[in-house]
Amino acid sequence: MKPFLTRIAAASVALMASLLVAGCGGGSSADTTPKFSPSSVVSFGDSLSDQGTYQVGTVAALGGGQYTVNGIGPSWLARIAALYGLAKPCPAQQGLDGLASQGFSVPVKNNAGCFAYGQGGSRVTNPVGPGNKLLGGSNAVLGQLTVPVVTQMQNHLAAVGGSYKGTELVFVYAGGNDVFINLATVQATIAAGGDPTAAATAGVTAMGQAGGELAAYVKAMVVAKGAKNVVVINLPDVSLTPFAKSLPAPTQGLILQMVNTFNDQLKNGLSGTDVVWVDAAQGVRDEIANPAKYSLANVTTPACDLSPAKNPLGSSLVCSANNVIAGDVSHYLFADSVHPTPYGEQLLSQAVSLELARKGWL
Amino acid sequence: MNIKSLLAATLFGATSLVHAQSAGSIVVYGGAAQITPKVESGDLSAPSLPGTKIDVRKATSFVGGVTYYWTDNISIDLPISAPFTHDVVGAGAIQGVGKLGTVKSLPATLLAQYRFGEANSTFRPFVGAGVTYGYFYKPRATDSLSGITGGSPSNPTTLSMKSRWGTTMELGGAYNVTKDWSASLSVTKTFIKTTGTLSTGQTIETTLDPMSVKFGIGYRF
Repeated sequence: MKPFLTRIAAASVALMASLLVAGCGGGSSADTTPKFSPSSVVSFGDSLSDQGTYQVGTVAALGGGQYTVNGIGPSWLARIAALYGLAKPCPAQQGLDGLASQGFSVPVKNNAGCFAYGQGGSRVTNPVGPGNKLLGGSNAVLGQLTVPVVTQMQNHLAAVGGSYKGTELVFVYAGGNDVFINLATVQATIAAGGDPTAAATAGVTAMGQAGGELAAYVKAMVVAKGAKNVVVINLPDVSLTPFAKSLPAPTQGLILQMVNTFNDQLKNGLSGTDVVWVDAAQGVRDEIANPAKYSLANVTTPACDLSPAKNPLGSSLVCSANNVIAGDVSHYLFADSVHPTPYGEQLLSQAVSLELARKGWL
Repeated sequence: MNIKSLLAATLFGATSLVHAQSAGSIVVYGGAAQITPKVESGDLSAPSLPGTKIDVRKATSFVGGVTYYWTDNISIDLPISAPFTHDVVGAGAIQGVGKLGTVKSLPATLLAQYRFGEANSTFRPFVGAGVTYGYFYKPRATDSLSGITGGSPSNPTTLSMKSRWGTTMELGGAYNVTKDWSASLSVTKTFIKTTGTLSTGQTIETTLDPMSVKFGIGYRF
């Protein structure tokens, strides 16, 4: 046997050789390449995906344009686009049809190459949604365009030559304005002496019809036209918003029924299709039930100061850091009575990302 | 090491009847190992989807090491491996989300082993116990992790895993092919925990408790 020291030396050399294959330490890093590279992001819907349709005239002058606390952080849609390395989505159409005297009459223009079709006030099928001047009263002041989802989809097909390339990432997120209008109809019917039960039933039925119509539009005008990557976000639980919480309990119950019926019909109508389903209704319920788990400081109070002195429209559309309530509102859920804050937008982007990743698209 | 075997070694040289694994022997080995973590994940702390958990997938790498025979039956083993690259995947409420990142591990273990049988037995089963330092480094997050935690490509969410000490138990057997060459197979169980931390501030306590299977060819110096 060789001397001990020689053996130690030989053994050491052998060990050193094996160590050479071991790498060195390093800091944490990220591979930000998504698994799927969409050519563009196309979105249909309402204020919850509006990227600045009304960011014109006085709205723009007031530092507003989106339904959130403006100027704080990206929308959920912009966050998703960023994950794919795409530019911030831009509104397909911009303008206002309200009072010229207040700077709310701005000629409508279509932005070529911009595919964010969602507009504040848009309904699924009916072209007249909240804020549309045809509803009269305060609606006529702002004059939102409220192009319905069905027309948004038609407009997109017209803009791209009638079909999808199959490389777009398409989002559909609507239904809230159908709740508001149908609820107003129920209330008006009852106020005019109509049967409350029949009125409520009619409202819920109308919501089911809207959900079914939205599903049919997705199938006929998106999937059947060649879109391969389609994400449908269901209607968040409107019955938990500050808007609903200000109403009597039976009305909240009616809103919940409207939301559930809309979502059920939407989901049923999409069965058999290969669309990604994001359960925003359940997401919001969970956030409100477990605020601490989501680092939400407040899930009941709007972050925006909606008093007429601070906010001429009483809407987050013209809310920014300049007219929020006192204190730290960075982790509030609601910007106004129904719309999320930038943090709420982030939480939605996370819920959408989760489903995109599950589908293998992120 | 007794005087007789030393004398025998000196007198008869390499071709003599030197016992394969006797006191004083130094065996250097090389081979491969597969580490399979048996993860029990805690919940990711706030802000997060309630019930967010992780799983750590198995990894295979080259392993080498040196075994020193203190006596004919008691040996000290120091395995040294190339890095293992583990996939970290979502579990619990984020089940199905896929890969959140990868993390490299370099487990450093020191084992005391008891080898059954005689020094010149052809087959010697052994048991071992020791300590492990789980060194976790070079974590690399995916776009999915950024997406579900609110990160962005310009400010991606990254992860890190705390290096920790653990204990290791071993069960194995060595087959002495020739006087100098041997082959061994062992199964080790390590009890080790780690804390994962995201750049967005959340933490997750994770019990890894990996089971490893190691195969090596050894040469006695």
